[in-house]
Parts: sequence; C-alpha cells; structure tokens
Amino acid sequence: MADSPSSRRSFFHRVAGGIYGTALASLLSRDLFADEPAHGRPTFDLAPRRPHFSARAKAVIHLFMNGGPSQMDLFDPKPMLDKLHGTQHFEKIAGEIENVKDAGAILRSPFKFAQHGQSGMWVSDALPCLARQVDRISLIRSMHTTNLTHEPAIYLIQSGKMGPGRPTLGSWVVYGLGSENQNLPAYVVLDDPLGLPINGVENWQSGFLPPLYQGTRFRSTGSPVLNLRPDVERPEAVVQMERDLLSRLDAIHKRRRPAQHDLDARIAAYELAARMQLAATDALDLSQETQSTLEMYGVGKQPTDSYGKRCLIARRLVERGVRFVQLYINGQIWDNHTALAGELRSACQRTDQPVAALLADLAQRGLLEETLVIWGGEFGRLPIAQLPADKNESRAGRDHNKNAFCSWLAGGGVKGGYVHGATDELGMAAAENKVSVPDWHATILHLLGLDFEELAIEQHGLKERLTGVNPARVVREVLA
Amino acid sequence: MTTSPPTPTPAYRRSPAHRLCPVGLFGCFCALAALWSFALAQPPAAPVKDASTPAPQYDSNILPIFKAKCFRCHSGEGRKAELELSTHAGVLKGGESGPAVVAGKVDESLLYERVRGGEMPPDGKDPPAKEEIDLIRRWIEAGAPAGEDKSSSASAALNQHDVLPILFRRCTVCHGAGAREAGLDLRSKGGMLAGGKSGPAIVPGKPDESLVIKRIRAGEMPPLRRIVEVSIKPIEPSETEIIARWIAQGAPEVDVKPDVATADGDPLVTDEDRNFWSFRPPRQVNVPTAPTPEAVRNPIDAFILQKLAEKGLTLSPEADRAALIRRVCLDLVGLPPSPEEVLSFVADPDPAAYEKLVDRLLASPRYGEAWGRHWLDLAGYADSEGKREQDIRRTFAYRYRDYVIRSFNADKPYDRFLLEQIAGDELADVENAAEITPELADNLVATGFLRMAPDPTWYNLTNFVPDRLEVLADEIDVLGSSVMGLTMKCARCHSHKFDPIPQRDYYRLLAVFKGAFDEHDWLKPNWHPGLSSGQTAQRDMTLVATAERREWESQTASLQKQIDELRGAIEKQAQDVAQKIFEQRLAALPEAIREDVRAALDAPPDKRSAVQAYLAEKFEKTLRVPREQLPALDESFKKLSEEMQGRVSALEAHKKPEPKIRALWDRGQPSPTYIYRRGDYLSPGRLVGPGLPSVLTDGKTPCVVEPPWPGAKKTGRRLAFARWLVAPDHPLTARVMVNRLWHHHFGRGLVRTLDNFGKAGSPPSHGELLDWLAVEFVRQGFSIKAMHRLMVTSATYRQASAVLPEHERLDPDNVFLSRMPMRRLSAEQLYDTMLLVAEKLREAPFGPPDALAVRADGLAAAAPSPAGWRRSIYLEQQRKVVATHLEAFDFPQMNPNCIERRSSTVAPQALLLMNNSMVNELAEGFARRVQGEAGDDPVRKVERVYLLAYGRPPDGEERQTGVAALAQFAAEWLRQLPADTADRAVESSRRALATYCHAILNSAEFLYID
Repeated sequence: MADSPSSRRSFFHRVAGGIYGTALASLLSRDLFADEPAHGRPTFDLAPRRPHFSARAKAVIHLFMNGGPSQMDLFDPKPMLDKLHGTQHFEKIAGEIENVKDAGAILRSPFKFAQHGQSGMWVSDALPCLARQVDRISLIRSMHTTNLTHEPAIYLIQSGKMGPGRPTLGSWVVYGLGSENQNLPAYVVLDDPLGLPINGVENWQSGFLPPLYQGTRFRSTGSPVLNLRPDVERPEAVVQMERDLLSRLDAIHKRRRPAQHDLDARIAAYELAARMQLAATDALDLSQETQSTLEMYGVGKQPTDSYGKRCLIARRLVERGVRFVQLYINGQIWDNHTALAGELRSACQRTDQPVAALLADLAQRGLLEETLVIWGGEFGRLPIAQLPADKNESRAGRDHNKNAFCSWLAGGGVKGGYVHGATDELGMAAAENKVSVPDWHATILHLLGLDFEELAIEQHGLKERLTGVNPARVVREVLA
Repeated sequence: MTTSPPTPTPAYRRSPAHRLCPVGLFGCFCALAALWSFALAQPPAAPVKDASTPAPQYDSNILPIFKAKCFRCHSGEGRKAELELSTHAGVLKGGESGPAVVAGKVDESLLYERVRGGEMPPDGKDPPAKEEIDLIRRWIEAGAPAGEDKSSSASAALNQHDVLPILFRRCTVCHGAGAREAGLDLRSKGGMLAGGKSGPAIVPGKPDESLVIKRIRAGEMPPLRRIVEVSIKPIEPSETEIIARWIAQGAPEVDVKPDVATADGDPLVTDEDRNFWSFRPPRQVNVPTAPTPEAVRNPIDAFILQKLAEKGLTLSPEADRAALIRRVCLDLVGLPPSPEEVLSFVADPDPAAYEKLVDRLLASPRYGEAWGRHWLDLAGYADSEGKREQDIRRTFAYRYRDYVIRSFNADKPYDRFLLEQIAGDELADVENAAEITPELADNLVATGFLRMAPDPTWYNLTNFVPDRLEVLADEIDVLGSSVMGLTMKCARCHSHKFDPIPQRDYYRLLAVFKGAFDEHDWLKPNWHPGLSSGQTAQRDMTLVATAERREWESQTASLQKQIDELRGAIEKQAQDVAQKIFEQRLAALPEAIREDVRAALDAPPDKRSAVQAYLAEKFEKTLRVPREQLPALDESFKKLSEEMQGRVSALEAHKKPEPKIRALWDRGQPSPTYIYRRGDYLSPGRLVGPGLPSVLTDGKTPCVVEPPWPGAKKTGRRLAFARWLVAPDHPLTARVMVNRLWHHHFGRGLVRTLDNFGKAGSPPSHGELLDWLAVEFVRQGFSIKAMHRLMVTSATYRQASAVLPEHERLDPDNVFLSRMPMRRLSAEQLYDTMLLVAEKLREAPFGPPDALAVRADGLAAAAPSPAGWRRSIYLEQQRKVVATHLEAFDFPQMNPNCIERRSSTVAPQALLLMNNSMVNELAEGFARRVQGEAGDDPVRKVERVYLLAYGRPPDGEERQTGVAALAQFAAEWLRQLPADTADRAVESSRRALATYCHAILNSAEFLYID
C-alpha cells in the first residue's frame, strides 16, 4: 500500500515548510536500504517481504478489548439464562470461578438482543452502531482459552504462551511481512493516554525476535514517539549544525574503518530517526481530516473522543503502509465484575461508534479489502452473577470465564455477516466448532498470507512459532 | 454455516511424511480395506464396514503385532518414551506424548498415526505389514477391546501410586506437610490409617465406610468455597473412583523403588550417545606448533594461528596502544580509561606495560561490577517477581547481586561459586550455627541464583500446580542454559528431540530440587506489606550474618530506647499536668468535702465504701481528666507533647527494616516425583528418584545422596548434584564457562550456541582450544581471573580490528579470529561511560537498588540526583519497567534469563541520544569538565574531549574540524541568545562546547570499540 496521494503531498509540503530544516529533505529522497551493500549475512530488517501465499489482507488493525467483554451480553444471546435466572449453579462450575466468595446464581442478560443486517446476526442493544456493520464481520462465538486470570490469558492471546518472553502477534506479522513504510515503525501501538493495559509494555514485546519487531507506542498527545522530539528545545540552526558535525565525525570514523557494516546500519538508523520525526508527526495530524470524518468517529465529543481518535489514527497509519496497528483502552472497561448493566453499556458507549466508524470509513476508502480488523479480548464471562460485597443483586456483574468468549474479524479476506461456532445453552463453554487461541492465531496469519507452521525462527535448535507446539488449525470457515 | 468438516489436526507436529500422506486420503483408503485377511490377497474393494466381522481383540490380535514390532523399545523397564505396550492399560495410558490409543477414535490415536505414517518403528526397521496396520485401525475403531487382558478393567489391581498423586494434588495442601487440618496427613497409607480427629481416613476393603470417600462424595471435600484460597481444583469423579477402588481392593501397597540409575545400565541412553564430543570429558590437548611462532604470545595464539594458516590467513597486527587500552578497560571493568591512564600507558616503555595494566584492571572493584553483570544476565536477575500486574518487589534480591559482584572481585573459584549457588543451604548448618559468619550467610544468599525466575505464585489464582511447575521449569532452564550448556527444558514434556535426554532425566533433576521446590508444598514469594490478608512472607528468611543482625538489633534497640525515654518524659509531664488540674478543680469544691473526695478517689475502686463510691461516681469524671484531653486543657503541654511526638516519629523513621535474605531452602520432606506425561501434572507416570542426566554419567552409578550433616533436616540432593557438576572431569562445566568468557572477550563463543553444547548446538570452531582452555581452567583452580589474563594477554586479543580485503574473502564472519571484532558498547557500558566522562558517576557499591522514575510519556530513568548516579548495575530492575536508555541499547528482559545480548542498531537509539534530556545534561557536565580541565583554548578543549571520550588525542583533521565547529556553534549561539543575556559571549562559548560534547556522545567512535 503506497501513501495515498493526499497524505504524500501534505507530507512533502511539511518537509518543504521545514519544521526541521530543508537539509533533511535530502534524506527523504533516498531509499534507506537501496545502497546498503549486500554482505551475504542473515540480517533482520523491515523491508517489505512477500507472504507465503497471496492474500488480500496487507495490514492489521487489532482492537484489543482487554478485560474480557461479556459474550452473552453482546454477541451470544442465551434465552436459557432468562429461564434459569436466579437458579444456583455454583457446584457445577466451582473450579472455573475466580472469586468464589462472590459467586451468585444464574444471571440473565440486562440487554436486549435483536437481529441485524442482511445476515440477521444477533447483537445486543449495547452495540447499536456495530449492529449496522454486522454484514462486514465474521463473528466467532466459540473462542476458548486456558486461564481465567488476566495476566496469563493476555500473554496467551498476545504471544501464544501464558507467560512473558515470546514475540507477540504483531511482532510475528512484521517479522514475516516487513513494512511498506520505512519512515514509520512497522508495528504501532496506540495505547490509552490514561494508562497502560495489564501486562504493560509486555503486550507488544518482540520476545526472542530482534527488538526491531517490537511494537512502538504512538501517543496521541505530546511527542508521538518517545524521544521523537528534543526534551530541551534548541534553535533549529544549532541542531542542524550539530547534525552536520556528527555526519562529518562519523564519516571520518567510517572512512578509516572500511567494511565495518555495522557503521552503515548506524548511519541509516540516524537518518531514519530524522525521517520518522516528520512522518510520525504527519500521521498523527488529525487537523488534515474533514469535520464530517471527525464526527463520524466521535472525535471531539464524549465519551468517544479518546477511542475515536485512536481509531482514526489507526486508519491514517494503515493508509501510510504501517503493517500492524494495535489499539488499547485503559481502565479495564470490559472487566465488568460489578454493575454489569451500567458498566458494560458505558464501555460500549466509549467504543461502539468509533469501531463502527472505522469499519465504514475503511470500506468507503477501499481500504477494508486490504485491512484485517480484529476485535476481542482475552476471555469471556460467566453465566452466573458475581455479587458485590453487600450482595445487592442490582449491582451484579460477571466473573471471568476461560471456556467461552467472542471475537470478530472483518475486512481483508474475511466473510461478512457470518457467525462461527456456538456455546452451550448457558454460554458457559464453547461447544460447537471450538476455536482455540492457537487456531485464532493461525487464522490471522493465514489471512495475511502467512503459514503459521512456516513462520518461524530458529531458537535453541527449535523452530519457534507463534502457535508453539500447540495443535492449531486455520478456521477456514471465516475465509471469504 | 455449512462447510465441510475440518481436517483433524494430529496432536503433535506434522512431519514431512504426514504432508505427503494426508490423513483423510489415507484414512479413506484404509476404510476400504475392511477385512485384513481378504486384503492380503487382493486390493481392497469390500464394503466399508461388515457387521459380521468380529472386532479384533487386544490380547489375541494386537498384542502379537506389538510384541513382534514394538516391544524391543516399548515394554519393560527400559521402555522408551514411557510407553508400555505389553498391557492393555499401558496402551491406553500411553507415554510421554499422551494416550497411545483413544478407543473408537483413530484420528486421535497417536500410535496409529505414527505407525501408519512410517515414523514407527523408526528408521524403517522391520515395519508392520499394511494388513497389520489396518488391523490396528479396525481394533481402535471397534473401541480397542481388551479381550482377556484385564489390566485396564475396573478390577485391575491398583496400588498406592495410583492414589497418592491424586491426594497430593487435591488434598495434602490442607492435610499434609504444612497444614495438618483435623490432624490428618494424607501423604501416605500410614497417615490415612492413622487418620485425624474424626478417625481413620480409610477402612481398607470398605470404601463406603472410609471417611475420605464419604467426605468427597458428600461434596464436603475439598471444600468448593475454599479451594481457590489454597490454589487447588475440585476433585474429579474419576479420581474419587480410583481412590474408592483402591480402598475396595484393600488399599494395597507395593514396593515401587523410584527409578534411578542402576548397575543394569540405561536402556534409554547408549554408549554411542555418550560418545558425542561434548558429553566426554575435555581432552588433554598438546599445544600445536604455530606456523609463525614469533606471533605467539601464549598457547591460545598457537591454536588460533594454526586454524588461520589453514585458511591462508594470519593474525592482524597489534592494535595501537590507545585502542588497546580502551578495549581492555571497557572489557574488564566496563568503563574507559582516564586520559592520564591513556597517556601513561601509551608512553610506558616497559615491555610488560600491558600485562601490568591487565593486573591493575582485574584488581579494580569495578571489575566485579562489569563481570557480575554478565552473570546476572545468566541468572535472570530482577528486583521484582513479574508475571502479574502488581510487579511485587523482591526487597532483598540485591543481596544476591552484591554476592555476585563480591565473588567476581574475590576471584572465587568457579567450582565453589557454583556449589554455593546451587546448594549453599546444604553446605553448612546455618540454622544451628553459633555464629553466622558473612561467609555462611553468603552460602544462603548465593542460592538466590535459583530464585530468580519470574514468579506469580504469591497470588492464589496464579499459584496452581501448573503455575509452580512453570516457575520450576524456568529455574531448570536457567541452570541448564547458563551452567550446563544443555537445553534440559526441552525434556519437560517429552524426551529431547535432538539430545539423548529422556524425559525421565528431566524429572530426576526435578527430584534433585524437590526438597526446596515442591509443587505440592510450595513456599510463596514474599507478599508485599500493605497487601497482607492472611498471607505470610514465606520465602524471606532472617538468617543474615550475626554481626549484621546484631548491628541492626543494637541500632534498633538504641533508637527504641530513645523513643521510650521520650515517651516516658511525655507521660511524666502528662501526669503532672493531670495532677495540677486535679488540684485546681478539687480546690473549686466546697471545702467541707474536699478531703473526703480526695480520699474516695485515692481508694482503689473495689475498696471504696458506699459513700466513697457515690463521691467517686459524682466527681471522678470532672477531676481526673482523661489523658487525651490534656493537650486541649493545657497550652504549654500541648506544645511540648507535639514537639516530642515529632522527635519520636523522626527516630522511628531511622529504624531499618529487619534484615532478611532470599534463599532456596531444602526442607527435607519432598513429595514423590512422578514423570508428568506431556508435562501435565494430571498425567503422572513412573516414580523417579533424584538423578543426573544419564548421558553425562556411565548410566549405571546412581547419584549418591546423603544428609549433608548428621541429623540434617535436608535431603542433601542438591549438594550431591552440585558436587557432581563441579567435578574436575565434568564434560560440560568447565567447557561451558571458558566458552562464555571467550564469548565476552572475543565477541562470539568457540561454540557459537553458548547455551547449547548438544547436537543441535553449533560445533566448536576450535575444538582443541576449547578443551585446552577447559583443562587449563581446572588446572588453575577454576580461577576466572586467570582465564581473563590468559585471554586478554594473547596476541589474538591484541590484534587490530581493521577489516582487510582478505578477511572479507576468507573469514567474513570472523570465525577464525583474523582480527578483533569491532563492537558497540553494551547498554551498561554506554550509560556508565557517559556518567564517567560527565563526572556524574557516583561510585558507591552495593545495597538496595536505586529507584527508577517513570515520566508521563513512559520514559523511565534513574530518579534525578544532583550528586550523580551510580553504575547501571545498581539501578532497580523491575520486570515491567526497564530504564529506557538501557532498553534502547538491548538490555534484555529476563524471561527467565538472557544467554546472549543482541546488539541492535535501530532508530530509537538515535532518537534517545539526540533528544533525551539526561543525555543533554550529561553533555553539559562533560563540557563543564572540559572547560575546567582545558581552559579557554579551543585546541586544548578539542584535545581534552578526544582524550576523555575516545581515549586518544585528535589528529590534524579532527582538531581542525573540532575547532571550526566550536567557533561556528559559538557564533550561532551568540546570534540566538537574547540580547540581554548576561555574559553573552561566555554563555555562547559554554553552549558551543556543550553542543560539541553532545555530538561527541552521539558519534560512532564513542559508541564503538575498535
């Protein structure tokens, strides 16, 4: 994906305008890797690579809904919960409950479900905007995972193992495909300015892959990337003089050390740093968007402003050839242990419009065909109530559930308006066409043209893969 | 939602053979072959299923095939992969990889997949006929009937080892080694018979009368509302049934000896396996005669020159002295030489000047900080537990860091260093020592080596048996990868794919550690103070050196005494004030009753007469003012008491927390160790005892385990293991360590894969040199400093790093050391060097780590400190927050440890060095120093900058460039500075120098070592 003409024009406009001086413009006209000598050694870089097989999706926007959105209140209607509401169920699932002391009776959903779109997909009234986009998504109702605690479950869905230290999904993708834009990081993380998600920066670690493949945080306020702008502002002329001196010093150093290839890479890194200062600033400049686009995403009004901005930035990054964009939301808004009815609705109100706008906007720009959008969390929730300390049932929530949760895919290569798999009659556990986390990983890689068994790196004599030694299968049913 | 059914995926990795032969296709083909006798004669064409065909039976139809084709490896004591095919139960139970056969499910039956795919029997040895394979398939489809074999039937004989693992995972947390609720201990049949306060837990022969069964069946045990607190899962009905059946059979016990090496030899590991180069002790190697003897400074060079000559190369010329001193200083102490050291070394006419320099460096306390850091990488050192959102601090982990630094500085022999770290708690009886010397305390602190893995088990929901096994797996990984050079961790779930390490050997090793690491009797990590809710600190111990403890006690006591005195003084004052008020108020009463009232109140309450009681009730409240009301009634007392209270608080703040250590602690009563098939604790297999990796022994001699001292409450298992590991002829210990030292000095190991000397590792580039070094290491008493001296004084190390055309052609990757590699400073070298040149390095070793401060934008750095900062090894190492400047330059995340740092070159490094405020501040400090040392002459400034930053004087071009830049910067700053700036010319010159220094800190020469 090349830069869209409009963004490319404004990009050069800004360079010529010279926020960092015209000398930098010459750096931009050179291809970073074109004149790098080939020295026949295995190197790691972000040059675009061909996938294992052709695929429609070229980029990913991962809307990570950390906390564990409730499947039976959003996407998986369970009339049996209404029927059995108030019935004790504890003994049957005692080993599957985190907060045993708070376990209450079966809890019906406080939300109303209806069928939507041509596909007639069931969605609850908590997600009115997404309900109008259901014909674009493939909903998986039969996801399941292996741990009912946030940390291990998040590690698993991000990296294939229930602990830190392995490359995350985004790292594998950029390791496999490189990036279309060398002036921006290949894997961008848009975290919530209010705080990091659980597991913090480990969510986008590259594990045993080189740090080149780890996610780079972009901030929507202030300096977009850490250290991208000087902490202490100095006159532009001085900065430029210092850069010139540095180039001269490095040139002298390199001239006396022919064939030390690390030095070429170092100079390239300094040049990239300079270009990134411009490209990142441009990508995050939402003033280039029309008022109607901003409104569509809910930018400028509460409670959608923050997430709306990130969704819009995600589109702008994908437009510019960034391979993997991951969005986070602060405050565990989906972790509805109490007051499900109010808190889940409020979580939806913060995200529903931006997410639906992202799908519609990508579609209207022709980007959805080449972009894979992923929505989901690390696990689901229980069919029984979790009661607050005062046992007030009107403030009941739901505890974690590793045995069933929902996730959806949309865009490049994904069937629209399709529902895959089913849970048991209470929504307690995936029952039909179960999709494990490794299956889900394999499917995402497949949609990008990557074979999950082939995308590997040699480590301690083993071919390490995202799915590890776990059996995995591509959920072919969701492929368009 | 209609789609074709998915292709089933086998529960193991597909081999190429499987790709050639898709399951579905072959399955259809097989399905057509209904009658194997019929198929013998002609291609299959019969109906898919024929109801009249009798189903094959295990005993009559299948057993003979197994016997002929499989028993050689899969029956009896020497069975491979823990797979026993001689009984029906054995087939269903399966081996390391899980059940071999799943009744009725061909697709899930591993045995069938392996046999049909041609993987088994291996190497195409005498494969079963197609008809036999087909028979196996039909047998599985028919539900894998046992025939007359009763091994898997409900009446099959059980013994205690079918039951004990269930009790360990469901019950003993409350009825076992630690808690013994209701007086019940379910860890043995004896304990069950003895029972608890409600009577015996079992009545042999009568499951329905056995309390254990009654309680479980009634749903009372394990108590569902409490199990999460103690991190266990509910008992499964099938598990209850096994216990009941065992009791019904009379609760029989059989004498099963744990599997350990025996004189019969090891059927799983052959002598051929033991013959692999790294599994044999290092050879005594004669130093070769070098093709150019004059180039040899020590034996290392002879080996290197020999190989170079084979390639048509020789050593590069010696590096110039300035390059050499910078290289060896950064290498040995992690910091560059001072200008004075450079100048005196360059001018030193002594031919042994370099050797003297090396000795000085090795004697420097900075050495331990640089090389201790390499070891901390291996141990996976961290100041927090990790794995959970609350990244619990390890308050006393720093003691291990300090122990490592001190050990390196003292050149503690490597064998002793390992003994202490692996089995320090079993080296001496610290608990009962009359005095804990610093050495004794160090023995315990050293075991922190095996307490470094990320550990979430302080929290009940991440403290289940699998979570603990994960911690254990990480510790074994740390041990295997750092010290043993073996990927032991691979054998956790199945026998090693490349090396002769059966799964059994992994579990024997777990048994070695079980006295301290018992997944059924687990000590939790420290729970951090403010959070305690019935949780206690289990791991931190108070066994510090007696002197340290006494000092703490006396300091605390002295503070307490002052506090008590102050409090006493306040109270004395309070009494006086109270008495004063009493007298005042008494005086206000009618005189007639005053003395009666006084007498009434003076009398003890139970001795008062009726009248006195009346008076007391009426006047006591008014006359005797409660203590807490006194300040309100007396202004001067209020002031005094507030002032004194302030002093008390100040004294309290001076009290130090009780000194503690983190240690690995054998508690002497390990639970039995079973092999966990597929690593799954729910599938226990054979009982094993403590043992050593068979391939590194003769396979016949068991590991001799004795209590470390008479009456010890310790197993002595780790001590036995550690002693074996540090034996002089151990095949790996010395080799792995000298290879690691080589790697740090020369940029790559002689064995490239530092953690893997096995078959999947790289073969040594210089095998003879490796062995010579290993033998030399042992001969020199495992002295690490002796090895440094040997390596860095070699001609090989002293070579220049210039890449010549013949190098690119004949030794592009520098495998043969045709030159020294040019290297980038490590994260720590860079940070510490910047502090040093800016005169911001505060050299204050040891003690609690320095806190990190995290800025709103995520940048993490040492908290601002006007006095400067300590070396990076003393920065707090939380798992969730890594100092940005270290992380950018490849400081690793410890998961669980780091075997080899990467050296990446990426844009964020440039951004950090260009834009970060701390780098700016250090550039300013650097400039201040240069100004102070060089004065106003720009030439001298440039010269000083070069000496400080690069360890050499500038040449003409560089001097000129520098002077011109200073002038240009000064002119520009002069232009930019507001007109009203005080001393504008001086300020612009100051800023010019800072800008110049900033560029130098960013320059390649500063970041790279020739």
